[in-house]
Amino acid sequence: MPPFPGSALSLLQNMNSSPTSNTNGSTKSRPRQLVQARAVQRFKWSVLSVLIVVLVAVLFPVLMLQLYFSFHGYSVYGGSWWDAEFVGLELFEEVVTDPRLGWAIIRSLLFATGSTIGCFVIGFGLALLMYRPFRGQAFYYILFILPMLTVPIVIAYTGEMLLYQKGPVNDLLSSIFGRQVNILWLANADTALLTVMVLEVWNWVPFSFIIMMAGLAALPDEPIEAAKILGASKWRVFVEIQLPLLRPVIVLALILRFLEAIAEFPKAWSLFQGGPGSATETIPTYLYIVTWQYFEISKGAAMSYVILLIMVAIVLLAIQILRREKIGLDQIYDSRKETTA
Amino acid sequence: MSNKISRRSVVNGGLTMAALSSLPMPRMAFAASEEEGIIAAAKSAGGTDLKGMIWSNYYVAMKPTVPAFKQATGYGVGSIQDISVFSIPQRAMAEAITRSPEFDFFHLDSNMIPSLASAGLLEPLDKYMDKAGFKLNAVGNFGNFMKYKGNTYGIVTDGNVHVHMCRKDMMENPEEQKGFEDKHGKKMAYPETWEDDQRLMEWFHRPDKGIWSSGNLRNRPNGVTWWYMYFYSAGGFPFDDDMNPTLNTPAGNYAVETYLNMKKVSHPEAPGWGTPQMIPRIASGKIYSCQYWDGAIGLNENPKKSKTAGKYTYGLIPGSDFSGKRMHRSISSPVAAILVNRYSKNKERAAYMAMWWATQKNSETIVGDNVNTFHDPWHVAHFKSDKVYQTYKAGLPAINSCLQVASPPIYLTGLLEFQDQLAKNLSEAYVGQRKAKDVLPETEKAWKKIVRKIGKKKLKAELASYKALFPKVNVPG
Amino acid sequence: MNRNLKRKLAQYGKYFALSIWALIVAFPIYWIVATSFKPDRDWFAWPPVYWSEEPTLNNYAVVWADHKEEYEGGTQYSHSMQKPWKALRNSLFISVISTFFAVGFGTILAYGVSRYQILSEGRMFQLLMLRMVPPIVIVAPLSLYYSTLHLLDTITGLVIIYSITTLPYSVWMIKSFIDELPLEIEQAAMILGASRLRTLWEIVFPLVRSGIVATFLFILILTWSEYLLALILSKTEVATLPVELSKYEGSVEGRVYGRQAALAVGVTLPLIAIGIFIRKHLARGFSFGMVKR
Repeated sequence: MPPFPGSALSLLQNMNSSPTSNTNGSTKSRPRQLVQARAVQRFKWSVLSVLIVVLVAVLFPVLMLQLYFSFHGYSVYGGSWWDAEFVGLELFEEVVTDPRLGWAIIRSLLFATGSTIGCFVIGFGLALLMYRPFRGQAFYYILFILPMLTVPIVIAYTGEMLLYQKGPVNDLLSSIFGRQVNILWLANADTALLTVMVLEVWNWVPFSFIIMMAGLAALPDEPIEAAKILGASKWRVFVEIQLPLLRPVIVLALILRFLEAIAEFPKAWSLFQGGPGSATETIPTYLYIVTWQYFEISKGAAMSYVILLIMVAIVLLAIQILRREKIGLDQIYDSRKETTA
Repeated sequence: MSNKISRRSVVNGGLTMAALSSLPMPRMAFAASEEEGIIAAAKSAGGTDLKGMIWSNYYVAMKPTVPAFKQATGYGVGSIQDISVFSIPQRAMAEAITRSPEFDFFHLDSNMIPSLASAGLLEPLDKYMDKAGFKLNAVGNFGNFMKYKGNTYGIVTDGNVHVHMCRKDMMENPEEQKGFEDKHGKKMAYPETWEDDQRLMEWFHRPDKGIWSSGNLRNRPNGVTWWYMYFYSAGGFPFDDDMNPTLNTPAGNYAVETYLNMKKVSHPEAPGWGTPQMIPRIASGKIYSCQYWDGAIGLNENPKKSKTAGKYTYGLIPGSDFSGKRMHRSISSPVAAILVNRYSKNKERAAYMAMWWATQKNSETIVGDNVNTFHDPWHVAHFKSDKVYQTYKAGLPAINSCLQVASPPIYLTGLLEFQDQLAKNLSEAYVGQRKAKDVLPETEKAWKKIVRKIGKKKLKAELASYKALFPKVNVPG
Repeated sequence: MNRNLKRKLAQYGKYFALSIWALIVAFPIYWIVATSFKPDRDWFAWPPVYWSEEPTLNNYAVVWADHKEEYEGGTQYSHSMQKPWKALRNSLFISVISTFFAVGFGTILAYGVSRYQILSEGRMFQLLMLRMVPPIVIVAPLSLYYSTLHLLDTITGLVIIYSITTLPYSVWMIKSFIDELPLEIEQAAMILGASRLRTLWEIVFPLVRSGIVATFLFILILTWSEYLLALILSKTEVATLPVELSKYEGSVEGRVYGRQAALAVGVTLPLIAIGIFIRKHLARGFSFGMVKR
């Protein structure tokens, strides 16, 4: 997933000539500029109109339908959905006061936070070990991206085979630690979510790994060399130079992984279906149960909007953080530019 | 092996002939007339191939009977959507919401009939059955499972019922018998009540030898099935006549207690185990006893697939004296049946196809398939059939007696909603996330909400067809 | 001498750490492959069977070649009725076509954003939100909407929704590559009279090819392994491989791990092959930032 590092890099490079049309004005004559501006406008709208048409044609009706359902008490057992009764905010009230949804949100946040940190720590660690060329780099590189290429539902079934109490994983752990390991991966309500988390981390370490590899590889050499010449220890170089420069990439890697983890469904569902107890009832699982098992389409719709709002809030917060990171980074580069100049 | 297969194809070929030809075959004459009626009615309905939603694990056994039908009537099954029987309720409901005419029939748990009929999806089949002169000839009270508010909505293909199985080889050991008698002061015998069963399971519980004696499921989706048996046999019924939940009653609490008591003799991984994990344990002899779907018998008794052929004894499900009189209640869920889509243009044709699979002769072929044991016996004739006996062997009489006391889960509109609330709370109590005494009050609270949502009046009108599913006998003869 | 030793130790430490993770990564993958060669009694055995003493190709034969197993008294039909080849074809069609749309349109959009800022920064972030809505949130009304348009159970239906939900990634990824191209090359081309589209096609596109290939692979992975939308928006015709996989269980015999594994190998192999095949592009794609500096 090169883009994000890339995009962060492109942010770095904005200090060079920012590649937009208005910067080249001075070299051109006015009429030419006008013609070009018009052409740009034409180009812009021909592209955007396609995007807008598709979004309006597909997503708008879906969101409207969802909105309709969340304000109408439609029951699958009484009449057709288009003459359901208008119930105002009743459904939203039900959703907001539903303790199961509250727990599902907490579980999802826990799950997403845990698996994001897990992915990131391992991914970054591996990238730090690997970003300089060495013998066998290609081998490890290919091997390390394999889990990302494995279909999540396959991971779930494989997890089932590997993780039962007398299964291969406990068996191997037993022979490594020299005593019987009896972890209940699949049946303990306290740790079931952790099991899904372990599988999620295994699945998506490559994501963080690739981003951080690209980020590290793209770091400028000069400040690091300079610091080394000044006698800074490796650790100080890492903490005071590399880490700050990598911050936008890191934030991006964390945010994207977090949001994808919130939406995780296939592993949690095919392994646990919400159980044992309600230990793995996360947002997607609970929403699936309400909509497709209880057939409460309307409650599901209202719930979707509540979750949508939460997600938007998280995304907006994330955007705020990303923007701040970008500005901070620009300043670092500006100051660096000044010192080198 | 190969001559066995050819015997099979001979049987199929024989069927075809019975259906098609007017050859004088005295032994088949009676059976053929049932089929002739269906074919005559189907011919008059004429038409194109059908499209159904059915799991291939079931359909494989039914498929061989289709060509004969097609040859006689001009239509058969064209294509199927092959998904798990556990996912079909959701998909069928999606079809109901969009009123789609796409599928002609659905093959799923007949306990979904009230919900799907309320959603407007199902076609009543009585008039087609009259036209074809067809009657469901099921054991015990089982035909009522297809009925809702006086109409027949389904044609059964698989008479799923829980039977009790325990290890003959372990119980016949004289040392064990003596030890048991010394401890409990009575002879070791086939269990008649849940308490007997618990005592035996605790006796044979040998984790150090890899034997966790209970093979009953305790995971979230399935565990609740066992709870119903404890509850019904203690004389419980989940609603009063005004549709107020009556779970939090002595019978309910007895059932919860029995349910949780088995934790002592269950494998620690039981809360995560469904059939995929439990069946290998049953068939490899790692348990002492369980109540299980009767299909497990076919697997147990097949030496090619299990290590336990001949080691189990099968019999009536244990009962309870809790209500003051001895009651046995087994459970039938899912009962796989063909339901017909009301919105389909082919609905009449689909009804005849379904009847074709439920005739004595064809259902014997389907149920008697001893390799793909997905359809279990239900027809009166199955219990006299050699072919079916070959599959279920000593288990066949047990199935018969358990079918006499077969009871439904919640046979009301909203089955899945009611059931999952209960299942979730039970599972939470089992894994220690919830106090046992909170299970029933909490479930009642959630159920009241569901009753309000679906409509009290509507559900009250359904109570009669729910109650009609219960067996008339408490102890089968 | 001492420094040399230290460096060597660090070197060994590095290989040690990498190898541990390599084992963690490789073991489950090994297990899938090993299981696909196991006869049924080894699937769920106590103690676990790491490599079967009697490896068999039977699982592959049953799943991929419609092989019927014969038992005493009959033929095992189960799982020979499923259609992995059709599912494979569906998966290929759907994921390749939708990835093609997402990346194709994404490239044009990314070019516009990078060079002419046709979307402001804020709008770009809003675009990202398309991806961030969990699919479960919209899948119910979407299936209702699709059913009125007769898009349920069609390749078109899945392609449309996949293209839309992966577009944000595609735009963001490709934009980052185009951003890094020096503007002067294009200007030169345009001054020489090339049209904008030709410039894009003949100058820009080849230069960011590696980046586009990397993007293509990434989005292919996402669509190839998508489960929920494929499950709910398909009926008989367009079941994809992940959906097909989830069918492999038996209510009597338990989950048929060996069959699943044989199918899973088939599901995963194409992706791994593609991944290895274009590794060069991936590497180049990722080192883009360095080239410029």
